[in-house]
Amino acid sequence: MTSSGRLAALSVVVAIGAVAAYVFLLRVAVVRNHPEGYVVAFALATALAALAVVRARGRRWPGWLVLAFSSLLLAGGAWFNFVAARVPDTPTALRVGERPPDFTLPDAAGRPVTLGDYRGKKPVVLVFYRGHW
Amino acid sequence: MAELQGLGTQLSEAEKAGVEIVAVSPDPNEQSQKFAEGLRLAYRFLADRDLAVTRRYGLVHARGGADGQDVPRPATIVLDRDGVVRWISVSRNFQVRPDPGDVLRAVRGL
Repeated sequence: MTSSGRLAALSVVVAIGAVAAYVFLLRVAVVRNHPEGYVVAFALATALAALAVVRARGRRWPGWLVLAFSSLLLAGGAWFNFVAARVPDTPTALRVGERPPDFTLPDAAGRPVTLGDYRGKKPVVLVFYRGHW
Repeated sequence: MAELQGLGTQLSEAEKAGVEIVAVSPDPNEQSQKFAEGLRLAYRFLADRDLAVTRRYGLVHARGGADGQDVPRPATIVLDRDGVVRWISVSRNFQVRPDPGDVLRAVRGL
């Protein structure tokens, strides 16, 4: 394989490896909490692909194809992490040292659960969540 | 879900009995509950379908959903035995959730 071909292949491995690592290691806090890591990996993949195009002798289209692929991932990944995933910092009703509003909500079996019922019994970790993260 | 999985794997058996993990989401939660039971985690998944409670807590991300619907702002709150807030983490990027180690330190410090 030419040096251009090797660079193009490495670019694909870095780009796809970054996606796989992020998805499969989402449970690992250090991976989940540094989503800029996949953006950096996509930037590296794009740089490798650009180098592959520059170094190509003869056929250039494989390099261009890999460059298009990695720069699409870079643009999409950067947009997702820096724009789409941002959450506005609006004021909450929570203050350290105060009791939060009490509530009753149904559990998975439909039974009502009241937050205040844990008072005097157990500490509670209350998690408001969405999606896969 | 990944946050909840991470939390579960770091809790000792004694801690699982000594602390209640209450997860609130507008999503249908039968699947989540089955999943947690599969991992033998004592989680309570509560359904806040219309986000009424989430809104009262000031934790709604307005039009933050994929279809422009309101969604919860990811947040983790540690309450002591008296029901008083001792530790809060609210996400500014919905991919980022607290490190389970930090949550457990807050729980162990109670």
